[in-house]
Amino acid sequence: MDPMAAPDRMTHEEFLTHIAKALGRPAAPQRADGLMPDAPQVDDELVRLAGPSDNLVDLFDQRAREVGMEVRRTSAAGLRADLLALVGELKIGSAVVSLSKLDKPDDLLGALAGAGVKLLDWHGDHRMATGFVADVGITDVHHALAETGTMICTSDSAHTRAMTLAPPLHVAIVRKCDILPDLLDYFWLIKDLPAPRLPSSQVLITGPSKTADIEGVLVTGIHGPARVIILLQVD
Amino acid sequence: MHERAKKAVKDLQLQQFVNKATLLKDDHRKSLAPQVFGARHNDIRQLAGNIKAHTLDHLDHYLKLFIERATANGSVVHIARDGSEANEIALQIAKKEKLTLCVKSKSMVTEETLLLPALEGIGVKTIETDLGEFILQLDGDAPSHIVTPMIHKDRVAAAKAFQRQLGARYTEDPSELSMIAREYLRDKYQQADLGISGGNFLVAETGSLVLCTNEGNGRFCTSAPRVHIAFVGIEKLVPSYRHLTVMLKLLARTATAQPLTCYTHIVTGPRRADEHDGPQQVHIILVDNGRSKILADPDYRDALRCIRCGACLNACPVYRKVGGHSYGAVYSGPIGAVITPLLRERQNYKDLPNASSLCGACYEACPVKIDIPRMLIKLRRDIVSAKLTGFFERLTFRLFAASLKRPWTYRLSNWFQRKALRMLAKKDGYVRKAPGPGAGWTAERDMPAPPAQSFRDWWKKNHS
Repeated sequence: MDPMAAPDRMTHEEFLTHIAKALGRPAAPQRADGLMPDAPQVDDELVRLAGPSDNLVDLFDQRAREVGMEVRRTSAAGLRADLLALVGELKIGSAVVSLSKLDKPDDLLGALAGAGVKLLDWHGDHRMATGFVADVGITDVHHALAETGTMICTSDSAHTRAMTLAPPLHVAIVRKCDILPDLLDYFWLIKDLPAPRLPSSQVLITGPSKTADIEGVLVTGIHGPARVIILLQVD
Repeated sequence: MHERAKKAVKDLQLQQFVNKATLLKDDHRKSLAPQVFGARHNDIRQLAGNIKAHTLDHLDHYLKLFIERATANGSVVHIARDGSEANEIALQIAKKEKLTLCVKSKSMVTEETLLLPALEGIGVKTIETDLGEFILQLDGDAPSHIVTPMIHKDRVAAAKAFQRQLGARYTEDPSELSMIAREYLRDKYQQADLGISGGNFLVAETGSLVLCTNEGNGRFCTSAPRVHIAFVGIEKLVPSYRHLTVMLKLLARTATAQPLTCYTHIVTGPRRADEHDGPQQVHIILVDNGRSKILADPDYRDALRCIRCGACLNACPVYRKVGGHSYGAVYSGPIGAVITPLLRERQNYKDLPNASSLCGACYEACPVKIDIPRMLIKLRRDIVSAKLTGFFERLTFRLFAASLKRPWTYRLSNWFQRKALRMLAKKDGYVRKAPGPGAGWTAERDMPAPPAQSFRDWWKKNHS
C-alpha cells in the first residue's frame, strides 16, 4: 500500500527488492512476521545496570539529583500536605494537572483548587494552549527508572504531552511502586502490546531541559521545563 | 580539504574552542561509559555492533516489518531513493495540507537533502529550533559537529545575530540569549502547522520512531503542529525495543556523558482517538541517498552501524585541530571521512580518507565498533586503483616501488637522494624548501640533510 506513489516513484516492494539485491539476494522476503530467528540475544547479565535487589528509592533519588532534578521525599500519608506546601512555596497561580494514577486524585485536585491554584482544563486542547500559559505541570508518572533517574510519561486519555513539556516548571509525583530498576524492565513490561495499542508518545524524562550550544555554557529551561521537582513518595 | 584545513589551523578562535570542547567531551566519554559498565564495556559495545550488523544484513526484512507495523499504527511511510525525492515528498505533503509555517528540529539527513531552501521555495517559512541551529540559521552559517553544531562559534556572534535579525537588545550572556530564543520559539510552536524532525532510531517491531534530545524542541516539533514529517536514514533501524535498550544505554553515555538524554521520545503513530494532543498525521520518509550503495559493499557495510554519537569526532586529533567545516561535507570527523566519499562520488572527496594519522582513537571510542581505520586504508587503496590521485603522486610511488625491488636500485636511489638533499641544504645543514613532492613536507617542517657517506659505506670502511 503506497499512498504517495507517483509514476516515477518507486513502490515499497520495488525498493525492498533493491535492498535485497544490494544484500546479494534476488528478492525481499514474502513475509516479515517478526524478528529474524538469529537476531542477537540481549543478555540481561551483560546489559543490566540496576536490579530488584537494589534500594530503588535511594538509587532513583541519587540519579535524579545527578541529572539536575530536585527531589523532596514524602510519604503516602504526607503527600497531600507536602504538595500543598510546595505549591504555596512556589506561588503557583495556574496549573495543568493530572494525578489520575494516585489514590484519591479528586481529593488532591480539590485541595489544590482550595489553595487557590487555577486548574486549567486541558481536555481536547490540541494546540497545547493551556500548557503554554500554565505556571506549572503537576503530574504523576507512568513509571520511573532507578538506573538513570528517569521518569516515564506517556500520552493517554488522562495525560497530555504538553503538561510535562510546555510549562516552565514540572512537579512530578513518583511513588515507590512506580520505580522499575532498569530500562530493560520498562521495555519488558510493554513488549507484548501490539503497536496500535501503544501510546502515540512515550517520553523518558531524565532532567530539566538543557543546552550547552553557546560556548559550552550550561543553560537549563531552553524549551522544556527549567525546573523539575520530584515529590518522591517513599512508601 | 587541504586548503580549508590550512586556514582552520590558523584560526585562533576555532583552535581554542574546538580544541577545548572536544578534549572535554572526550574526557567525559572516557570516564562515564567505562565507569558504569566496568569490565563489560567492551562486550556491550560488541553486542551493540552485532545488533546493528544483524539489522543491516537483513535490512530488507526489517524494513518490510517496519513499514507494516508503522502503517498499522497510523503512520504514513514513504521511500526516498535520493535527497531530491525526499524533499519532493515533503513538499507534496505541505502543498496538499496547505502548510505555511514549519518548526524544525535537528536532522543531519535534511542537511544532506538541503530541505530548508526547498521548503522556503514553496512559501513554507521554516525555523530551526535547536538552539545552536537556530543561531546558525540567523547568522547564515552551517553546523560543524554532529552533536554540538556551533562548537566553532562564540557568544559575540550569537549576540550580534540576535540583535540584527530579531531586533533583540544586545546581550552576550548565554542564559539571556537562550531566553530570548525560547520566547521567540514558543510563539512559533503555537502557530506552526508543520513539524520536521530527524530520527535517532527506528524500531521495526512496533513501527516506532525514537528521538534522543536535550532541549525539548524535538518534543515540540513532533507534538505541537498538526502534521509531523520525519526524515530518517534507512540504516537507523533496530529490530525491537529490547535491542533499542542496548543502543540507548550506550548513546548518551558515549556522546555527552549523560545516562540518557533529557528526553527520549518514542513516537508510535499520530494522536490516538482518546488522546488530547499530538499530531494528526505522522509521515516517515525513509531516505536512501547512497546508503544502499554502502550496504552492497561488504568492506564498508559496517559504516552504516553509526548511531551519530559524535564520539569519534571528539577523540580525533585531526578533527580537534581543523574543526568540522574543513571537511567540506555534511558529515565530518572520522565517520565523515569514510561515508562521505561512499555516499557521494569518491572523486569529489578523495582528500578526506587522507585526513588521518590512523591512530585508531576513533575505533576505540566507537560504541558500535566500526573499524574506521581499516575502512580509511581501503578507501585510500580504492582511490589509488581508480587512478583518482594526481599523476606525480602515482609516479613518485612507482619510483619508490621500483627502488625497493633490488639491492642495487635501493642503493642507487639512496645515493641520488643523498646528493640531491645535500645540494638543496642551506649552510646550517637543513633543507628548507624541497621541490616536487618534497614541497609538501618542507612547507610545514625543515629536513636535516643526510651526511655525505651512507651508514653502510661507513660500516664497511670502519668495521668489516
